[in-house]
This record gives sequence, structure tokens and C-alpha cells, in this order.
Amino acid sequence: MNIVVCVKQVPETAEAELKIAAGGKSIVEEGLPLQINEPDNYALEEALLITEDHDGDVTVLTLGHESSEEVLRMSMAKGAATAIRVADPVFDGGDGIATARALAAALEGVEYDLVLTGCMASDDGNTQVGVALAEVLGIPHATYVTQVEVGDGEVTVGRELEGGLIEKLKISLPCVLGIQTGINEPRYASIMGIAKASKREISQLASGDMGLSADAVGEAGSGTVLEELTFPPAGEGAELLEGTPPEASGKLAEILKEKGFV
Amino acid sequence: MRVSLSEKYELLGCIQCGRCTAGCPVSLRTHLNVRRVVYDGMLGTGPKDAKGRPEAWNCTTCSNCTERCPKGVKPMELVIGLRSAAIEKGRIEPTIRDALESTLKHGNPWGRIRDKRMEWAEELNVPVAGEGEAAPLLFYVGCTPAYEPRTQSIAQSLVALFEAAGVEYSTLGTAESCCGNEIKRMGEEGLFEMLVEGNREEFGGHAVGTIVTGSPHCMNTFKNEYGEMSSDTIHYSQFLAALIRDGKLTFPKKVEKKVTFHDACFLGKHNGIYDEPREVLSSIPGVEFEEMDRSRERALCCEGGGGRMWVEAVEERGERLAETRVNDAVALGADYLVTACPFCLLTLEDAVKTSGNEGKIEIIDLAELAAMAL
Repeated sequence: MNIVVCVKQVPETAEAELKIAAGGKSIVEEGLPLQINEPDNYALEEALLITEDHDGDVTVLTLGHESSEEVLRMSMAKGAATAIRVADPVFDGGDGIATARALAAALEGVEYDLVLTGCMASDDGNTQVGVALAEVLGIPHATYVTQVEVGDGEVTVGRELEGGLIEKLKISLPCVLGIQTGINEPRYASIMGIAKASKREISQLASGDMGLSADAVGEAGSGTVLEELTFPPAGEGAELLEGTPPEASGKLAEILKEKGFV
Repeated sequence: MRVSLSEKYELLGCIQCGRCTAGCPVSLRTHLNVRRVVYDGMLGTGPKDAKGRPEAWNCTTCSNCTERCPKGVKPMELVIGLRSAAIEKGRIEPTIRDALESTLKHGNPWGRIRDKRMEWAEELNVPVAGEGEAAPLLFYVGCTPAYEPRTQSIAQSLVALFEAAGVEYSTLGTAESCCGNEIKRMGEEGLFEMLVEGNREEFGGHAVGTIVTGSPHCMNTFKNEYGEMSSDTIHYSQFLAALIRDGKLTFPKKVEKKVTFHDACFLGKHNGIYDEPREVLSSIPGVEFEEMDRSRERALCCEGGGGRMWVEAVEERGERLAETRVNDAVALGADYLVTACPFCLLTLEDAVKTSGNEGKIEIIDLAELAAMAL
């Protein structure tokens, strides 16, 4: 059971006071630590767990700048056998579909039974790459997967729906699964483990190696264009209730009754 | 060739006398039997990592076992070694994993960002050493006094005390990174070495002369585990005691409270610092001090050290040691149970609530108590 996991390096933004960068199309990343996209971390762990039970190798694949090799090394430290980075400035600025084309091309000649991606990237939140990748590869997919059971030439998955409902699907292999956080408990990659993994090779692919024309990838190959990134406008309507806790809660109870919530 | 646990930790000297387990505070309430762990290590039997032996995470690294061993065996090192083995396999408690990953990303185990490391000092005038600026006296705050709301007042109290004594000092500001004491004890050797390298460079870059720490954990590792350093390290209780002796720090106000003192493992047992905190206590006017029965070398570990701030004990039973400690202090009739370690403070304060002693006693840090008398 050979598995490909698509991973992305993203900035960690918890608690940070974000600033829009000059040009208005990105945030200032200076000072933000970089890490593996959280859902991808769960996808990686799921792949490692599956290959522990069903013989096979895990390949990690990313499209990113040099710093994203840290994520690949961490993945290898956890047990991924092979790492591939799609590396070429021509891929910059690509939307979900352009990125999916690049990833699909990188998988030419790679033998796999299953492709796992994180369901969503925490920076752009588009949730497109996994789905688009499946379409480009011409294989079925499922998203928001919280349960995976490997069968014979197929997988049975649970998809998380609203209100805690789980939809069960049987999908033939190969397929793409967009993994939701919480499906497992990711392992830890030690510093010594990552240092050892740094000695292993990471294949780097450029657009030339992949037989992709410049108009199929990056900004040129994108169907959507990011026009502007702004903060939502500060709204009105926040009322601060003053007084001691008993006083404030009394006022709150009145408001809730008044507005018909209680 | 793989080195056996027996060779790596020099276990063959063990005579299975049991003094280690007899002195282990958590053996009172968990399955951790450190004599058994050494036995298995000697014979090459039993689990080889903390995943197979989960009670290894109960150890608070108080070092009682190591202090008491008549044969120079270090059972505590073996327990930490079992943790390291689990860490290299990646199979550790999620809370430990999160603390380690946070330390790598943000320089502290609390999951807080580096930019907010000086929030405790917002209303104060705390000097930060600029790039290349010399820092002859460095106040090393520590991750817990910096970020944890309850213990931020330790840092704030120390600033007030330094100012009252006319001390010239500096801090590293948001460039301060975790000392690694707990990281080492959780078993992440690689991360610990990374922190040591980074911190030594930081201290060197400011030509730091003396480091005064807010926590005994930080003092312990800088002093004992960072190798040859051009700076020397002391805990704030030692610094305050010296200021009092030199007449630079005086206390104009009275604090009329009955107090007792809890000796933190990393101040007392690990580093033999018992007198200086008591010197500070006895210099505060109005304070009526009484020792608990289990004091100094015999102090009962609060269960906050050795990574325990980030992991629950496995299969525990009965009263938490911190609750026992609080009950001891309440029985003494103390108003304040004073301690000089931020982990002890947090653990004991939680224990006041869970032991039903709320309103009967308060947990106060030594720095907070001294600042009350300013």
C-alpha cells in the first residue's frame, strides 16, 4: 500500500498581530514561525499508520520554496521514505487548480495506491487542491475524511458532515482523500531524527522536468486571481456590560430575554 | 553496536537495596517503582522505552533516588533515558509533544508566541539589552514567569525589588528563549542541545557576567548543564539575600503573617540552596516563620517538575503530593505557604482548591512576599 501525502508549509499565525504586506496581496510573514499545515500533519500520520499495518512506503510531496524542505525532512524523520519538492519560480502565485496540475505532473511515474492531502490549507483556506488533484489525475476523491479503513483494492471512509453526521463511502483505489484534523494523534519528530533525515536526498523537480508548459501553472495557469487582501471592517454593535459579575449577568439575562433567546 | 541500558546508565553497581524507591515521592501514589526499572535495565528485560513503561512519565526528576543511592547509580537518568527512547520513536503524550513543538517554534513550552514574551512588563520600565549591548547583570525571566498569568507577578515583584535596591540590570526581552531544563528532563536531548547552543550564543553576544533567574529550574540547567560558561548563574533568592546583607535592600513595611516555606526540589535538593530563601524571609518585618516537618532535604516534591506541568500522571491514586503539602501547611496554622519556584506555586495553588482549603491558606512566591514589604 504505497501512499503519497501532499504537504504544505504555512506560517503559524496564532495570537499574532497580522499585517498586510506592501502590494496588498499577502501578509507580512517575517517573524511568523513556519510549520506543516495542520491538516497535512494528520494526513501524514494517517499514511504512516496505514503503512504500518499494510506494507508500503509513504512519499511526501510539496510545492514550495526552499524553506518547505524543513517540512519534508520532518516528514522523513517521522517515517516517510521519499520526499519530492516541486521547485520552480514559475509555480508561484498558482491557484488550487494550477497547483494541482503541478502536483499531478510530479506524480508521473510514481507508483501509488492512495493520495492523502490535508482537507484545507490554513493560510488560504481554499480547500481546492485535493479535489482538483483528483480530477486532474482522473481518480475519485472524498473530502473531510475522519475515518479510513483499507480493504481490497478499495477504502471505506467516513466523511464528516454537519451536526456530527458521518457519511460512509466505499471508494476504489487509487483515490484522493482530503483528511480532516482529529482523525488521529500525530507523532512527534525529534530534533535528532530531523537531523538524521537531513542527510537524505530530496528530489527537486522543475517545470522542465515535468513537461508542463508555463501557461498551465502558476499565475498564468490560474483560473482565479487574488485581487486584494484586507481586514474585515471593525463593526459596531458590541455593548460592554459594566458592573460586578452579578450585576453584569443580570443585564445579560435581560438582554437575552428581550431578544427572545430565552 | 547498540549500547544496552545497563551499560549506558552504568546500572551494574545496583545492589537492589531499595533506598531509591523508598525515597521516591511519586511511588507513594503511582506504579513507578524505580528499583524495578533499574532491575529490568540491568538484566535487559522489561520495556525499553516510556511507551512500554508509561509510569516513566510520572517521575518529577526530584533526584531523591539519585541522592540516596549508596552505590552512585543514577536511576533518574535511566527514567529520563526511557523517555528519550520514546521521543525518538515519536510516540509520546500529545501534551508533551505540543510542549516540545512549541519550544522549537516559539522558544517556550506554553504555546505562546515570542512577540508576547514581554507582555508581563508592559506597565513597567524593564531594560532590554539591545543588539551587541553588554549585560553584566542579566535577569533571566523564564518562560513560566513571562507567560503564565499567575506567575507574571514573580517577574513584576523582582523588578520592584531590583528598583528598590538600585540594581542595574537588563533582560533579553523577546529574544529570551527556553533554558531547556524541563526539555532535557522530558528526554528531548536534541532540542535541549539546540537550546543550549542558542542560549550560550545569546549570553556571549551580550557578554553576560551574572545571570539571576526567576526560576530554580533555569538556574539549575545554566549552572550545571550548560558546560563552561563565562557567566555565573544564581537564583533570585541568593541575589536578594546578598542585597539584604549588603544593606542595599530594606523593607520599610511590615507583613504580619504566619508563614511557612516549601523547599522547591530544584532549589533545595538539586542545588543545596536552603539558607538564602530563609535569610530573605527572616528579613521581612512582621513575618512569623515556622518550619514544616518535611523541610529542607526532606521536603515533599509538589509533582510540578520533570515535565509534569505538561503531562498528567499515569494510574495515580489518592491525594496529590501538593495537596499533602498544603494540608501540612494548613495544619501548621500558616496564612501563607511561601515557595520560590513558579511550578511549585502553580501546583500548590491548584492543590489549595482541590483539597478544599480555599480561604484557609494562600500560596505566595518569596519575591511577591518581599515586594509586599517595600
